[in-house]
Amino acid sequence: MKEITYLEAIREAMLEEMERDESVFVLGEDVGAYGGAFQATKGLYEKFGEARVLDTPIAESCIVGVAIGAALVGYRPIAEMQFADFISCGFDQIVNQAATLRYRTGGRVAVPLVIRAPSGGGVHGGLYHSQNPEAWFVHRPGLKVVAPATPYDAKGLLKASIRDNNPVIYFEHKGLYRRAKGPVSDEDYTVPIGKAEVKREGTDLTLVTYSAMLFPCLAAAETMDKEGIEVDVIDLRSLAPLDWEAVFQSVRKTSKLLIVHEDNRTCGIGAEIAARVAEEAFDDLDGPVMRVTYPDTHHPFSPPLEEFCLPNEAKIVGALRRLASY
Amino acid sequence: MEVKIVVPHMGESIVEGTILKWLKRPGDRVERDESVVEIGSDKIDVEVPAPARGTLKEILAQEGATVAVGKAVALLETEDAAPARPKTEAPPEPEAAEEGEAKEAKQEETTPRGRRRITPVVAKLAERHGVDLDQIEGTGLGGRVTKKDVLPYLEGRRSTQEAPEPKRKEEALPTPTPRRAAVPSEEEPVEVIPVTAMRKAIAEHLVRSKQTAPHVTTVAEVDMTRLVNFREKHKADFERQEGISLTYMPFIVMACIRTLKEFPFLNGSMEEERILLKRYYHIGVAVALEEGLVVPVIRHADRLDIRGLAHAIHDLAERARTKKLTSDDLKGGTFSITNPGAFGAVLSTPIINYPQAAILGVEAIRKTPVVRDDQIAIRHMMYLCLSYDHRIVDGATAVQFNQRVRRILENPLELIL
Amino acid sequence: MSPIKRQPLDKEDLLRMLYYLKLVRAFEERLSILHRQGKVLGGIFSGIGQEAIVVGTCYGLRPGDYICPLHRDLGAFLVKGVEPKHLIAQIFGKRDGLSRGKDSYLHSGVPELGIFGSTSMLGSNLPVACGIAYGFTLRGHDHVVLGYFGEGAASMGDTHEAMNFAGIHKLPVLFLCENNLYAYSVPVEKQMAILDVADRAAAYGFPGTTCYGNDLLAVTHATRQAIERARRGEGPTLIEFKTYRWHGHSEHDKAFYRSEEELLEWKSRDPIPLFERYLKEKKILNEENLGEIVRRVEREIEAAVAFAEENPYPEPASALEDLYA
Repeated sequence: MKEITYLEAIREAMLEEMERDESVFVLGEDVGAYGGAFQATKGLYEKFGEARVLDTPIAESCIVGVAIGAALVGYRPIAEMQFADFISCGFDQIVNQAATLRYRTGGRVAVPLVIRAPSGGGVHGGLYHSQNPEAWFVHRPGLKVVAPATPYDAKGLLKASIRDNNPVIYFEHKGLYRRAKGPVSDEDYTVPIGKAEVKREGTDLTLVTYSAMLFPCLAAAETMDKEGIEVDVIDLRSLAPLDWEAVFQSVRKTSKLLIVHEDNRTCGIGAEIAARVAEEAFDDLDGPVMRVTYPDTHHPFSPPLEEFCLPNEAKIVGALRRLASY
Repeated sequence: MEVKIVVPHMGESIVEGTILKWLKRPGDRVERDESVVEIGSDKIDVEVPAPARGTLKEILAQEGATVAVGKAVALLETEDAAPARPKTEAPPEPEAAEEGEAKEAKQEETTPRGRRRITPVVAKLAERHGVDLDQIEGTGLGGRVTKKDVLPYLEGRRSTQEAPEPKRKEEALPTPTPRRAAVPSEEEPVEVIPVTAMRKAIAEHLVRSKQTAPHVTTVAEVDMTRLVNFREKHKADFERQEGISLTYMPFIVMACIRTLKEFPFLNGSMEEERILLKRYYHIGVAVALEEGLVVPVIRHADRLDIRGLAHAIHDLAERARTKKLTSDDLKGGTFSITNPGAFGAVLSTPIINYPQAAILGVEAIRKTPVVRDDQIAIRHMMYLCLSYDHRIVDGATAVQFNQRVRRILENPLELIL
Repeated sequence: MSPIKRQPLDKEDLLRMLYYLKLVRAFEERLSILHRQGKVLGGIFSGIGQEAIVVGTCYGLRPGDYICPLHRDLGAFLVKGVEPKHLIAQIFGKRDGLSRGKDSYLHSGVPELGIFGSTSMLGSNLPVACGIAYGFTLRGHDHVVLGYFGEGAASMGDTHEAMNFAGIHKLPVLFLCENNLYAYSVPVEKQMAILDVADRAAAYGFPGTTCYGNDLLAVTHATRQAIERARRGEGPTLIEFKTYRWHGHSEHDKAFYRSEEELLEWKSRDPIPLFERYLKEKKILNEENLGEIVRRVEREIEAAVAFAEENPYPEPASALEDLYA
């Protein structure tokens, strides 16, 4: 095991997969000689050449469309959206082309495509460099969506996504690139898509979260532990498919559920989890299903405004305390 | 005025910068916008310009040091006087309690009288284990009984049930441990009997009865001599005419019905917030079978005379023994009578046939020396052991009931009325 | 671009191309009737009048070549090798249709035959065409990709992004524009400020040419030249076919936005009699072999409709399947 950053883990995953399988290639804006806006693809261009690390024009729709076409004829493209916010420029190709190809061909084709998208706020990015658009894509059948929080999961999930035969949207939180450091195995390993992980065990409350929110959640759980309340923290890792069994198992144990995500409140992933738990685990609940989320607004640029909106440890602790005392 | 020179924002994901080169030394004069230091990150290197004209006062981080974005690396003494600064407040600590605060206020109001907030999991546990939530103290909001309150209560209940009744102080209460099957050996052989569905049903029924109704048993002593003599005189004829033997049971049933009409609470049952007094009389008469006790019911027993009762009792007992009872035979009883006396018992504390209010145990009739008119006489004596649900029936009523049954049995002519 | 060099086509090819023209026409006419009989639900986008384009461009492609047709290019499916019966079953929404009931009309494509089915978002097929072509170049194959679009789709962003990308990388893509003068009801002068879509190719760094779309031989030769160019690695070509559709945008459209006069004019330019006359003058076509072709086409269409009518619907619950590999 070695300690590397989240960004290095993502880079390593691409490097190893491109070495392992020559049908894997990267395309996107500035991914080539520049190494990517966040340096995620640094070194790949020198190693694999410009055909496999392709600098594209500013044309997200074309990037995704080209990736789909290449996937149809035997390639495994990794299309990079420079910021997740720009994914809306390629929205039609993702939700109407990639997501439906297998379905409308009656199951005859597969689209082994990965779209990497740096998401997340708290970086003074303003409206167009801070978004968390995962819910739009979790909503669309035919797509897989993942959002790792740790370097270990980032590497393993990216490898799994590249090897998966379906279109996978890989949301990497830009705030974690250099801030999250953690142990990563040297072995060739994958983290399966569709499986959550219990990052901290507890019997009193269930906390379900994903991506960068994992860290304030763990800190909040630590605080609650000192107050004698043990929180079961579940890192979803994958949003579509979502590990429902892990959620239900924990809810059966604790009977109290809090969901935390950085995405907006209305119709975020938390809403779906709350609905399904109320539907299928009603008899196990000893309190309302609660959520701590970003409010229904945009990402303002001015720091105190964004601070006001972002979920953080204090807000999570507050919610955990209210839930514990219900 | 002292001004800080800080590590600038160098990109969305950059959190720190490294001091590459100081372009000025402490004591140097600097113009506004003149580059003071070079700071690098793995994305870009920047030259940081002085925010104002002045003298470089102090370097806080040396070349090679890594400093977080926004933190100061040097201090600049400017020539400007401190301008009237608008009061900048530190961003307020994000309130811990904010989301759903209005909701919380609502919850903390006292719940409306008589309404209990029961969550799904608590309701499930209560039903499954027959828990009366009123018995449990709630630690949740507004005194709500939570799952965490119910679970220890169930644990505690399990452990008290293992203690024998009445509690004997010498014996320590058995600690609730998971029952481990005894490992049979030659010294301690064990025969394992599987529990039949019937036994299981009986067991559950009895447990439920005992857990729901606080049982008290009151005993009356009946002088059955007159009835014994009466029966002696008529039993042969009766048997010839009716084809069945004449037992004491029909008389006892009739006496009970007569008395139930006077003491209706013993023919009642208890629901959540009300007591139902049955104005009909379906009397259950217990029959002991090998598999266990069954209590088939004589429906509208008040409409039958002695002969009718005798036949009904006989019929039910026959059908019970030949396994021809239907579920209707066992349902709907309002009062039950059991006869441990048939096997020789003198005293018993029968368990009420839930959800009835009482059960009468009829004990053995024995010739017993008693005092009559200050002299010893030998009389046929029998105990009547009435177990009653103390929620529905109070002590005085129960005793009076029992005494009334006694008086009717001691003066059987009253049965004619 | 150099003047089109005409390569000789042999007799077999020419008769075969006539067969396809006849097959496509008969198929589309039959579809129109079935639609008016209420046997076809959903949209039918008739290509009657434009048959020379689908036959001329698709005939002679290699199995490894890909086509990315749009909604009016049903004939391309037939020329590329799809059996009529599966196409009618598809249109009926039956089990043995190309989508197994999942999508209508041409959206499924046929991956095994190198046909990419488009979505309803016009022009969205063109970036995918570029991706397929890019894949070919990575492997060093000299296959080509034919990307079809109407002059209407030429207004969509995806069309421009695709042409731009293809031009940069000299991809082996043919951008085939079928300009039939109307995008639904909107005439061409309201769709663009220029006369010829072909002029746009220069803006993306590759040649563009117009071509009379009702002349099968003109279409064939222009396409082949562009294909050879692409196979040699010289990059994309934009060919704009000038043509006209006889029916409305869809069978639901009465097309009152054009004049009877205009329609008559174009009907007189029917590509099929035009080609037949050529073949007759070359003494390739006579009453006998023409009759054979007509009868063969009739038989095939009848058999196809019968097959589709008898074919069962897929299991309703199959609506939930085929989302993930």
